[in-house]
Amino acid sequence: MADQAGAQQLFDLWKKQVEEGTRAWLKMAGQGQSPDPQAFWRPFMDQGMQAWSKVMTQGQPSPDLMAQWKQFLDQWIAAWSKVLEQAMGTESFAQAMGKQLEGFLNQAGPVKKAAEQHIEATLAGLGVPSRSQVVGIAKQIIALEEKIDAVDDRLDTMLKRLEELTAAVRKDRA
Amino acid sequence: MKDELFTMTPDLPGMAPEMVARWQEELRRNALRMKHFSEMIMNPKEPEIGPTPREELYRKNKSRLYRYESKRTIKTPLLFVPNLGISRPYIFDLMRKGSFIEHMTERGFDFFLVDWGVFGPEDNDLTFEYAATKILPRMARKALEASGAKEISVLGYCMGAPLSLSWLGSTPEFPLKNYVDMAGPVDFSKIGLFGLWLDPRFFDADKYVDTLGAIPADMVKMGFKLLKPTMDVSTNLNLWWNLWNPDYVAGFTALNKWANEYLPFPGEFFRQWVKEFYQQNKLIKGELRMDGRPVRLESIRCPVLAVGAKEDNIAPPDCVRPLVHAVSSSDTEYVELPGGHISLIAGRGASVHCWPKVASWLEARS
Repeated sequence: MADQAGAQQLFDLWKKQVEEGTRAWLKMAGQGQSPDPQAFWRPFMDQGMQAWSKVMTQGQPSPDLMAQWKQFLDQWIAAWSKVLEQAMGTESFAQAMGKQLEGFLNQAGPVKKAAEQHIEATLAGLGVPSRSQVVGIAKQIIALEEKIDAVDDRLDTMLKRLEELTAAVRKDRA
Repeated sequence: MKDELFTMTPDLPGMAPEMVARWQEELRRNALRMKHFSEMIMNPKEPEIGPTPREELYRKNKSRLYRYESKRTIKTPLLFVPNLGISRPYIFDLMRKGSFIEHMTERGFDFFLVDWGVFGPEDNDLTFEYAATKILPRMARKALEASGAKEISVLGYCMGAPLSLSWLGSTPEFPLKNYVDMAGPVDFSKIGLFGLWLDPRFFDADKYVDTLGAIPADMVKMGFKLLKPTMDVSTNLNLWWNLWNPDYVAGFTALNKWANEYLPFPGEFFRQWVKEFYQQNKLIKGELRMDGRPVRLESIRCPVLAVGAKEDNIAPPDCVRPLVHAVSSSDTEYVELPGGHISLIAGRGASVHCWPKVASWLEARS
């Protein structure tokens, strides 16, 4: 009995921590309206409580405990998923993400350019073709393939016309 | 000896025999979990993917057109257009008895698949328009020639739907027999989280492409992981739970390979895709132009089926459904099936709900 009360206290403490954590998380994400974490956590908490009390009151340990634990974890993940989805679905989150990306691009752009120039110069000094030169050749091959395809298309059209004409001439002769 | 180990029934005082048997089953599963886990770590097997026999019919740059072996009892061929970039198309032919393509070929469809391929830095100038008006029509013509048919059905999955609709909506003279949109977004005002994140107020597509050139696979991966951050946790939890089952492990290994193989986007393709579709929603508004021609969804007059997935967070049902109202066809149908963006077309649920529905709908009209 004492064990059961202790377990209940632990569960309540954990539940409180989760709720407070969720509130803080949503506040950080700049949620405008007041969130209701209970809405996400309630279903799995109720079932968790039921499973917990069942385990505590039943006589023999049962392998069902594993299935209940899995179910509990599934609901916990689903609840987190909903919380995160709601937080990420806000304009403030999108704005924060956009700013972070812009910051990254502002830093990455000049670094990338400088690194490319440095590598190009080094490779040119060594007499080795650079990446941009290889890419340039690949682009020319792609353009050549496109031209061959265009010629192929025209040939197809001409052959089709020729076949139609031949058929028409044969029909006339007959 | 192994079997005996699991079938021995010790006489435990005070415990009912059924309870003993259930504990034995649980212990057996745990032993199998350990066995399969150590096999996955110590001796990982490369999954056999793409089991349906096929031939390469045509290639253009990185893209390929494949024709699958089939009895070809159904008169009208079917051209499958998947997404460009993001992921590989072998998800549609993932494994034996778990493949959309296998299902369709067994039903007698003359099945053609467009594999866009993996694009490199030399393809950064490739645009959405080029893929839709130069590559796709040529693939479709080759498929028609190979089949000897006069008309063809087109099935667009995910981004493959806006790609194929952009082509078909601008070429009403193309002999289209049927059109199927599977989880393909059409109205981008209802696209959900991606729509918000790519909103022009928060996302500068020009700066992104001008700086990076192409969209690296890691960036694509990050975007999709962010869409469902708990996905990896629940996937691993489910793996642990089902690890005793060798069939589940085989399926997981194949799916996991695919799920972690992200592909980059050509830069100009991404620019056009984000700006004209996500940010300006031009397709449904009728403002899109491809190769100098207007893209008019109302010019599509053949039978149209749109399939949405209830839990799809990449192309939510609300952005798929509008297609049936935008076309001029008299024979249209919209169905919403259980599952997410991927599980709509791959996995056990798909084999029960989606594949038979799509195959029957097409069969009746082919």
